[in-house]
Amino acid sequence: MAVAERAGKVLEARGLVKKFGEKTAVAGIALDIREGDFTGLLGPNGAGKTTTIKMLTGLIKPTGGEIYYYGRDFFTCPKDAKRHIGVVPQHSNVDRDLTAYENLYLHSILHGIPKKRRREKIYEALEFAGLLDHRDRQVKTFSGGMKRRLVLVRALLHGPGILFLDEPTVGLDPQIRKNIWDLILKINQQKGMAILLTTHYIEEAEKLCRSTYIIDKGRIIIKGAPDDLKKDIGGYVLEIFREDGIEEAFFASKEDALERLRGCPHTCKVREVTLEDVFIKLTGKRINV
Amino acid sequence: MFNGFRGVLYREINVFRKRAGKQILASSLSPLLFLIAFGWGFGDRVAVDGLPYITFLIPGLITMSSLNQSYGIAQELNITRFYFHVFDEYLIAPISHVEIVLGEAAYGMFKGLLSTALIFAYSVIFGVKLTVGPVFFLAILTHTFLFTTLGITIAMLVRDHGDQAAVNTFVITPMIFLSGTFFPVEKLPVVFKWLVYALPLTYSTKVIRAALTGGDVNMLYFMLMLGFAAVFFVAALRAVGRVEG
Repeated sequence: MAVAERAGKVLEARGLVKKFGEKTAVAGIALDIREGDFTGLLGPNGAGKTTTIKMLTGLIKPTGGEIYYYGRDFFTCPKDAKRHIGVVPQHSNVDRDLTAYENLYLHSILHGIPKKRRREKIYEALEFAGLLDHRDRQVKTFSGGMKRRLVLVRALLHGPGILFLDEPTVGLDPQIRKNIWDLILKINQQKGMAILLTTHYIEEAEKLCRSTYIIDKGRIIIKGAPDDLKKDIGGYVLEIFREDGIEEAFFASKEDALERLRGCPHTCKVREVTLEDVFIKLTGKRINV
Repeated sequence: MFNGFRGVLYREINVFRKRAGKQILASSLSPLLFLIAFGWGFGDRVAVDGLPYITFLIPGLITMSSLNQSYGIAQELNITRFYFHVFDEYLIAPISHVEIVLGEAAYGMFKGLLSTALIFAYSVIFGVKLTVGPVFFLAILTHTFLFTTLGITIAMLVRDHGDQAAVNTFVITPMIFLSGTFFPVEKLPVVFKWLVYALPLTYSTKVIRAALTGGDVNMLYFMLMLGFAAVFFVAALRAVGRVEG
């Protein structure tokens, strides 16, 4: 591909495949992420989201396909590429035996941050996460939310071009989840960093992501801006609650949906279309099962 | 350059520092019990290979204890890999597998050498004179490197904690008891002799015992130790690569 076509692209993946024995977890995924993009990778459990992230970040090797960071081949120069990557994995993999400061110091060594700048950058990161006062506490004494915040700022410490967030708020209570999302938005807005996010919380993904890839059975079934994807199936959905289940009908406008509702003998509800509806319309099943 | 090596070592030494008291106490107890039971029990009334038994025993305890400590990092790696996923932080960092293996190996060697120093302290208490020369230093460095890289390999290959325990039970423990730590392997029946000569600890024990007691060091055995070390180092590198497979 021509260099000009790659200009502004932080990440480009082509034909990514991952097989575990006979089972194909990812079956030819292609992604394009540009500077400052906030992209969601959405799909149900087992769709291949985490496997895709693991391939993109070098945690597992793909069976096939190509990955480029800033136009450079990930597999021929992995060290260079990894300098551009920040990862927040599903598990808070901070070292529980180390303090918050030591965890960040370890990351700064691994990522080659010059010694004289380490302390300043670590303090800045701890302050950003609201953990400065807890810097000398062992991480095993931290709450789930504190650990997540630490993982998040650790991923930012070396100034990556793209941040991978794999279910960053899974298992957290709603208030802490909101705090984490606020922090993520702040990162995207203040640092202009590209973000690739996987999450089960579809409503939150809709609010945050400017583009989305919807994935099922290891394949991307549709991609686009959340609003465009929703418009494509109609902006409004009419839910008809029958004895044998819920029937859904999609309409371009609220008025059309209300018109159809008139005279309906069952309980009905008109609401705006969500990305979950897009997924249901395309696959016949729900993302959150 | 060497960010991976320095990072891994920083992590391991900092974690060790926080548990140093417990770890040193735990690693010092078992050789002390062996020394009391066999060393004082047999004392200098029993001679083995022309040496008082306690003099014969101490080099064996050095190889055993340093093996336990160096190889023992497998257990720690296992926990960081499977339970806390800390190992993933190394894999996504811009560092090479060689740096990871060398960093872990340096930590394993550090632990092995610490336990060696403890046994030297015991030898002073028990009044056993040992000859410490350059050959011993080369041998103990090779020995601890060899077993720490074996530990890294096993930790990367096993699928869970249970597999790790099985390797310890069926490979490491028999090796410790059969490879000349407590008695000369020449006393074993022929079938067992073949078996123990396939195990690296046999050569480590022979070389280290000869170096410490003023005997003749068999250079072929030393070369075999180096050979095992090279094989386990390559195996460890491949095993780390396999984690990404």
